Amino acid sequence: MSKLRIHPLVRFPALTALVLAGFCTLCPTPSQARTIHLIETGSTLLYPLFNLWVPTYTSSHPGVQITTEATGSGTGIAQASADLVQLGASDAYLSPALQHLHPGLLNIPLAISSQMVNYNLPGLNNRPLHLSGPVLAAIYAGQIRYWNAPAIRALNPGLPLPHHLILPIHRSDGSGDTFIFTQYLSFSTPAWMKTTGYGTTVSWPSVRGEIGATGNPGMVQALATNPYAIAYIGVSYRSAILKDRLGQAWLKNRAGQFVFLTRSTVEAAVASRAPHTPPDQSISLVFAPGANAYPIINYEYTIVKKHQASRHMARAVREFLDWAISASGGNAPAFLNRVGFAPLPQLAILQSRRQIAEIH
Amino acid sequence: MSQAPGDPPPRPSSAWIRYRRIKSAIGWFLAGTALVALSVAMVQILLYVFLQGFHSLAPKLFVENTVGVGGGLKNAILGTALLSGSAVILSALIGVAAGLYLSEFGEGRLGTLTRFLSDVLVGVPSIVLGFVGYVTLTVWLRWRFSLAAGAITLAVLMLPYIVRSTELALRRVASGIRESAYALGCRDHQVVFKVLLKAAAPGIGTGILLALAISAGETAPLLYTAGWSNYSWSGHLIHEPVAYLTYVIWSFIGEPFHSAHALAYVAAFLITFMILLINLLARFLIASSPHSNR
Amino acid sequence: MWFRRLLALFALLVPLVLLAIAVFLVFYAWPAIHYNGLDFLWRDTWNIGNQYASPIQRHGETVMPGAQFGILFLVAGTLGSALIALLFAFPLGLGAALFLSEAVPHRFGHFVSFFVELLAGIPSVVFGLWGIVFLIPFLSHHVYPVLARLFHFIPFLTRPIGSGYGLLTSSLVLCLMIVPFITATLRDALRSQSTEMREAGISLGATRFEVATRILLPGQKTALAGATMLAFGRALGETMAVLMVSGNALNYLPHNVYSPISTMAAFIVAQLDSALADPTGMAVRSLAEIAVLLLVISLITNGIARLLIGMLKEHTL
Repeated sequence: MSKLRIHPLVRFPALTALVLAGFCTLCPTPSQARTIHLIETGSTLLYPLFNLWVPTYTSSHPGVQITTEATGSGTGIAQASADLVQLGASDAYLSPALQHLHPGLLNIPLAISSQMVNYNLPGLNNRPLHLSGPVLAAIYAGQIRYWNAPAIRALNPGLPLPHHLILPIHRSDGSGDTFIFTQYLSFSTPAWMKTTGYGTTVSWPSVRGEIGATGNPGMVQALATNPYAIAYIGVSYRSAILKDRLGQAWLKNRAGQFVFLTRSTVEAAVASRAPHTPPDQSISLVFAPGANAYPIINYEYTIVKKHQASRHMARAVREFLDWAISASGGNAPAFLNRVGFAPLPQLAILQSRRQIAEIH
Repeated sequence: MSQAPGDPPPRPSSAWIRYRRIKSAIGWFLAGTALVALSVAMVQILLYVFLQGFHSLAPKLFVENTVGVGGGLKNAILGTALLSGSAVILSALIGVAAGLYLSEFGEGRLGTLTRFLSDVLVGVPSIVLGFVGYVTLTVWLRWRFSLAAGAITLAVLMLPYIVRSTELALRRVASGIRESAYALGCRDHQVVFKVLLKAAAPGIGTGILLALAISAGETAPLLYTAGWSNYSWSGHLIHEPVAYLTYVIWSFIGEPFHSAHALAYVAAFLITFMILLINLLARFLIASSPHSNR
Repeated sequence: MWFRRLLALFALLVPLVLLAIAVFLVFYAWPAIHYNGLDFLWRDTWNIGNQYASPIQRHGETVMPGAQFGILFLVAGTLGSALIALLFAFPLGLGAALFLSEAVPHRFGHFVSFFVELLAGIPSVVFGLWGIVFLIPFLSHHVYPVLARLFHFIPFLTRPIGSGYGLLTSSLVLCLMIVPFITATLRDALRSQSTEMREAGISLGATRFEVATRILLPGQKTALAGATMLAFGRALGETMAVLMVSGNALNYLPHNVYSPISTMAAFIVAQLDSALADPTGMAVRSLAEIAVLLLVISLITNGIARLLIGMLKEHTL
C-alpha cells in the first residue's frame, strides 16, 4: 500500500456526489429559527378566505409564516387533533364523538358561509323560481320527477314550467356543502331525516337522471352542460353562476317565507340563531327562524388544540385568530366580499375571543 | 381440384390479388390512422399545456414563494428538486447495488423472487405507498409532513425502476469483458467497480434519470407525506412540510380564482418540460454510450 | 464472497420493502377485514355512519351507527374504466406499432415512436389537468351530445350525458396513458424479428401488410398479451388522472358511459379526508383494506404478465 486510496464505495456514483452537491447548495442555513410557521389545512370552502388573509397578515407580522392547504374538513379535524397542523379548518362543528375522543379540541367560528340552490331551465333562468325544503327533498329522493309537477307549480304560480325530467346534481366527493344542504333537507323534511339524514357524504337515493359532480367547479360545469338540472353550490362560486347565466332559486325558510340569498337575509338568519349559541359554539345555523332569514348558512370553523406545542406557538395562533375574527382585520368586507362570506355577529366574536383565550 | 406433384402452383386470379391489395391498403390506412390519432392526442396535450403555461409564465414566478393562491412557485420548484433529488440518492444507492446482484449473481431463488416482486412493486398504485407512508412515517413516527417522509416514500416508488434498469444495463455488457477481468485475477468487487459499472454507466444513468422523471411527476404519494408549504424549505428533515409542483396542479385548478389557475398551468408546463428534458437527456445518454448495442 | 453477500443484502431489500408494506397493510386493515367480512366486495354502500351519534359495538368492533363499507361500485368503476380503456388502447397500440415498425423508414419510425412513448412520461396529474380544462368541456359540449343522439337506441350510450366527468372520459384518458406500453413493447418485438422472415414472406407474394399481420405478428402474440396485461394493471391502479376526471361517484353503479364512477385507487385519495373524521378509525382501516386489494391485484396482473412473457423468453429478463 503505497498511497492512501479512497474506497470505491465512496467514490462510486459520480451522480450521487453531483446530486448531493446540488442538494447542499439548495439548503439555506436555518437562520430564521425565530420564525414561527403555522400550518392550516382543511375545508375547501374556507381555503380561499385563508388565502386572502395570509398575505396581508404575514406582511404586517414578519415573525409568522402561515401555510394554507385545501384538503377537506375531515383532514383538518384529524390533523389538528393529531398535532400535525396548528389550524384545522372545518365547515362543521365537531361531532360529540370527536369531542369525546379529543377533549382538548376547540371549534371557533371565523366567518359565515352560505349556499345557493341553482338551476338550468332554458328560458327561465332569470325568472324567480321558488323552492322549499320538502320539494327539494322530494326531488333528490326521486318522488318529484318533472319540472311541472304539481308541488313545484303550487310554489310558482304563473311560471311556464316545462314537462321535463329534473336532473338532480349532487356532490360525489365528501363535502361541507353536502353537509349543510342535507341539513336543510333534514330539518325541513322529517321523512328525509329518517331515510337519508345529513353528513359530508350521504347515501343519495337512486334517482333516474341523477348526476354526481366533483367539487364546486364540477357542480357548475355539470349544471351548465345539463339543461333541466338542479344543484347546490357554495356562495364563493356565484360569479361563475352569473357568468354561465344559470338560475338561482328563492328558498322557503322556517317562517314559511321565500327568501333570496342577500347580505340582509344572511344577517337576519345569523341574528336569530346567534343568541342561542352555546359557549363551545357548536351549533347549526341551517333553517334558522325569522321571517327574513336565509335558510342555508353556516359557521366556518377553525379547529384548534387548546394546548399548543410551545408558548410561542400558542401566542402566534391566538394573535392570528384574534385578527381573523375582528371587523377591522380578517372579517373586514374587503376580504369577505370577495368570497361572498358574511362577518361574524358581535356576540359570536365575543364567544370566539373567549375560546381563543383558552389556547395556551 | 387435384394437383399432380411437380405441376406449377395455380396462378392466383388478378381479382384475388386486387382484393388482397385493397385489404392491405385498408389495413395500413387503419394502422396509420391509429398512429395519427395517438400523435394528434400527444401533440394536443403538449401544445395545450405549453401554450397555457407559457401564457402565464413570468420571471417573478421563479423568485417568489406561493402566497395563498397567487405569488410565485419558487418554493414548489425547490421542493420538487429536493424531494426527487434526495429520493433518487436513497433509491440509487440501494437500487444499483440490488441491480448488480441480480445481473451478476442473481440466478438463484433470491434473484427470481426479487425480480418478480420488484415488478409487482412497480404495479402497486402510488397512492398505496402514500397511504402507508402517511400512517407509518407521518403519524406513527411523528415526523409530520416532512421532507424525510416524502423522500422515503418516493424512494420506495423509484426503487424497482432503478433495480430493473440497472440489471438490464449490466446484462448488455458483453460477458467477454467480465471473463477477461476475472481471468486477470480480479475479485468480485474489482470486476464490478472497475469494469462493469464503467461499461454500463450510461445504461444505469439512463435508468436513474428515468426514475427521477417518474418521481418528479408523482402527486399521490406526496399528498399525505410531504404536505404542502407556502415557504421555501428551511433545512429541517422532519416536522416541516415541503412544497412541490404537482400539488399546485392538482389543488389550484379547483379554485375559483384566475391566479390559481395560472399557477396550475405554469406548474404543469414546468413539470412537463422538466420531464421531457430528462427523457431527452436519457435518450442522448443511451445513444452516446460506446458499449450499448442499440 | 463478502461483496456478493453485501449486494445480496441490498437485493433482499426490495422483497423486504414489499413484504413490510403488505404485512403492515393487512395488520392495519385487520379490524376492517373482520368487520366488513366477505361482503366487502359485493356490497354497494360506503357509509361511514352517523358521525353525530355515539359509537356502538358491532361484530366485536367499535363503529359509528350505520357504518357499512362495501365497494362494489368501486370494483365496477375500476374494472369498467380499465376495460374500456383497453378496448381503445389495444387497437390503437397495435395499429401504431405495426405502422411504425413495418410501414415507415426506420429512422422516422424511431423518431415518432420516441415521441409516442413520451406520452408515458407525462405525469398523471398533468393528464388530469388537461382532462379538466380541455377534454371535459370539449367532450361534454361537442362529442357526448352527438354520441348520445346517434346511439340513443343503445342503453349505455343514451342520455343523460351528465357533466363530462365520468366513465368514458376516464377511459379515454387512461387509454392515452397506457397505449405507449403496448406500442413500445410490440414495436420492439416486431423490430427484433429477422429480415429473412419479411423477405421470405414478400417472395411468396404476400403484401407487406400480410407479412406484418400473418407472419410477424403471430410470433409476438405472447409479447402482445404480456404488454396488454401490464397496461391493464396500470389502468387499474392509476390514481390522480382518474381522480380528477372520473366524477368520484359514491355508492352507485354507472347507469351509462357518461355516469360518474370512482376507482379503488382514486377513492383512497378522495375519501381519506372524510374517513379521517371517523372517530372510531374504522373508515380509514376500510380504506387500508382497499389498499390491500390493490396490492393483490398488482400481484395477479404482474404474475400473469410474467408468465406470458416468461413463456416467450426464458432467460432474457
